[in-house]
Amino acid sequence: MTEIVLSRRGFLASACCLAAAPVFTPVTFAAMPGDNRFVTIVLRGAMDGLDLVQPYGDAGFAGLRPTLALTPDKGLIDLDGHFGLNPAGADLLPLWKSKELAFVHAVSTPYRDQRSHFDGQDMLESGGEHVAEEKTGWLNRALAVIPRSDARKAIDVNTSTELILSGPNNVDVWASDSNLGTAKDEMQFLMRLYAGDPAFAKAMEEATRANGAAMIAEPDGKRGEKIADVAALAGNMLKGDYRIASFSITGWDTHVGQAAQFKRPVQDLAQAITTLKTALGPDIWSKTVVLAMTEFGRTVRQNGSGGTDHGTGGCALLAGGAINGGRILGKWPGIGDAQLLEDRDLMPTADVREIAAAMLYRQFDVSPDDLTAKIFPGLSFDKSSQFLRA
Amino acid sequence: MSVSFQTMAAIRFGYGFRPGEAQPEDKQALLAQLKLGVEAKPTFPDGGAEACRKRIGDLQDQLKEIRQEAGDDDEQRRNRRRQLQRQVQRGFQRDANQRLMQAVLSPNGFYERLATFWTNHFSTSANKSLPMRLIVPLYEAEAIRPNIGGPFRDLLRAATEHPAMLIYLDQAQSQGPDSPGGMRQKKGLNENLGRELLELHTLGAGSGYTQADVRSAAMVLTGLTIDRDDIDVAFRPRISEPGQHTVLGVSYGGDRRTRKDYLAMLDDLAAHPKTAEHICRKLSIHFIADQPAPEMISAMTDVWKRTDGDLTAVYGAMLDHPAAWRDEGAKARQPFDFVVAGLRALNAGSFMEANQDNDDDADAMMAAPAKDADSGNGMNAMAPPDPADEDKVKRRKAFQTARALGQGALRRMGQPIWLPPSPAGFEETFDAWITASQLAERLAWARRASAQFDKDQDPREFLKATLADAARDETIRVVSQAPNKISGLTLVLASPEFNRR
Repeated sequence: MTEIVLSRRGFLASACCLAAAPVFTPVTFAAMPGDNRFVTIVLRGAMDGLDLVQPYGDAGFAGLRPTLALTPDKGLIDLDGHFGLNPAGADLLPLWKSKELAFVHAVSTPYRDQRSHFDGQDMLESGGEHVAEEKTGWLNRALAVIPRSDARKAIDVNTSTELILSGPNNVDVWASDSNLGTAKDEMQFLMRLYAGDPAFAKAMEEATRANGAAMIAEPDGKRGEKIADVAALAGNMLKGDYRIASFSITGWDTHVGQAAQFKRPVQDLAQAITTLKTALGPDIWSKTVVLAMTEFGRTVRQNGSGGTDHGTGGCALLAGGAINGGRILGKWPGIGDAQLLEDRDLMPTADVREIAAAMLYRQFDVSPDDLTAKIFPGLSFDKSSQFLRA
Repeated sequence: MSVSFQTMAAIRFGYGFRPGEAQPEDKQALLAQLKLGVEAKPTFPDGGAEACRKRIGDLQDQLKEIRQEAGDDDEQRRNRRRQLQRQVQRGFQRDANQRLMQAVLSPNGFYERLATFWTNHFSTSANKSLPMRLIVPLYEAEAIRPNIGGPFRDLLRAATEHPAMLIYLDQAQSQGPDSPGGMRQKKGLNENLGRELLELHTLGAGSGYTQADVRSAAMVLTGLTIDRDDIDVAFRPRISEPGQHTVLGVSYGGDRRTRKDYLAMLDDLAAHPKTAEHICRKLSIHFIADQPAPEMISAMTDVWKRTDGDLTAVYGAMLDHPAAWRDEGAKARQPFDFVVAGLRALNAGSFMEANQDNDDDADAMMAAPAKDADSGNGMNAMAPPDPADEDKVKRRKAFQTARALGQGALRRMGQPIWLPPSPAGFEETFDAWITASQLAERLAWARRASAQFDKDQDPREFLKATLADAARDETIRVVSQAPNKISGLTLVLASPEFNRR
């Protein structure tokens, strides 16, 4: 892992070497008083929770996903006798064992039926009940109601704040302007974009071959390094005045050849979390909660291209020394025919916003009234929430 | 499916849609942009033509001084020269940015496209010499742009007689070998302008002229030169080759040579049928297709003949031909077109304009971090930053982004402003521009621009506003399914239909 210069100015000066936009959209920080830390990671592109944390104990699972479903004798890392972790996430296992990692299955935003990434991410970050209902991000709105909240001037060095942290409250934004690899899921889109135009298809094919690949797709190794850089940066910032950080990981839109494609973003996610832990050090890690969430899940059945399509119920990840992990949380709906939503998706049994609300309540004393009125309008949340036991 | 008039007008004959900009209703409105464009006056050179001429004169004076500092410290001279170069280069960048912004912000897209076409037709390069960094922007502003809607004859004269052309094609060096001046200085003929005049600017290569015609044309041009002090166009009978010179069967000159000789030759070349054919073909290749319909070219040359080369009427004939409105997307957007269209689509004009210059002492700032970094622990490092520094950092970043999306991108894509690779200008065909490395650059640009301007854009809306009915069903589908907003915008800008016109 690269040790990031601790100085803000030092960071700014070296910002050009830091991670790139498609891997991580801007890293946003908010400085808050108090000791607890909260990190949100937006998994853009709809992470397949059923691939990350596989319900191998469900009888029908292997039949629904002939080339994707694993079992403990085929590399799946057993977690609790029913669920198993995708081997690409093996680096997370120590955290699971030390109860610093939990997964929440079958969660979703209130977004239904349409399955557009843009709208889904908008819902996930704005925290509203309907698309485009809230114009600001829920994490930004939360800043205003955190007791002892300290006003601080925002810094927006590069592009825009991500929606989750954008709004009237001050947030510093640091982002890289460096070049710009394309995640593998996005490559699939480019291929489709050019499929019907032979001249462009040919140019694209040449560009992705041999040397050209470096120009378009980020070499996998480099992508990993950049993710470590951003996580280390976030960790170092959180060691100082900052209490809240947010960034994104892309590459989850695995419509085609998921068995191969899914590995990389899972490794990125694992790397981001383990790097954060290292950067924060044991004391601060013990006061930290990381919430990784995605706009929606993917179809329970795999499709004809060895991938999965946009679904509904998904999976969220909680990590940090402050959580009571080593458990699969949430209410598992099952994957039998009668249990699916619209005969295709995992049935959501909880609102992903409730997890976020519980973490804001626990880490920063945000009141349930504020949480349900100002931050997540329409959400039911009180002190009996199952996620407060996480 | 055929594409609407407004979409064709914007993409094939303009620099694409820009949110909030009124669209021409019909062909008349499109042609009317010629007049509006001329009246609008370009935003370069910086401060206008007079200020530019003064800068040219000052630069000449300073270069002369440096040359004359004989015996002085060489190191000092070199430093002074280097400083001067930096200053001139900076002014050139400013003008080049202004030229980019002119194309991005102008509502007269057809006029702007034609200005690019003609500046490229009468190519000159700012790389020729240091003063050319100042002269070439002036050339486009005063020789090309005011004359692209009138008779071709006027445009040919204005371009040929401008110092930029005279320097670029070495006419300023050419002297009649038997002229009094030429014999005294033992200097001779330079055929460069005479050749390109026939080969590139008027009749076109392979149109039947001979080497003798080239040499004679160069002879007729002798005497046309520049004044070394203020770099203005001049005619010097003393270096003009005496006698009669026959070009394409017409003889020019006499014992006493005057400016009228070469002007008569230019007018005859402008009126030559081969010139009409060459220009009309080149226009239709540029705007319509690498292999344009012969009927379109002959419709244009008919009008050329009838109107004595009135360019607005010739453009009108092109627009009147049905081939102008079908087979959309046959051409590749060249890099300048791609970048301008992208910045227009993203409505990035005000950002680009506001950040095209950075006057902060950036070097000093970038050297500063050592102090805080050494102070060690993270708590110190988190101290509130000096607001002035924050502001500087912000400005610097914005400046770097604007440069990367503008001049930097054009350089990487192989079409830097006012720096064509040869007197023939930039490549024209689809195959020259849609290549693997080109596509990689365009993708990188699309990514960066999308990340910069994604804030208030929904990719589905962006697609509609940018490509309208030119968007293919497949592109609509792929964009609407993109894994995130930045990807969605990138896909619009990377799509074949955005890169075609």
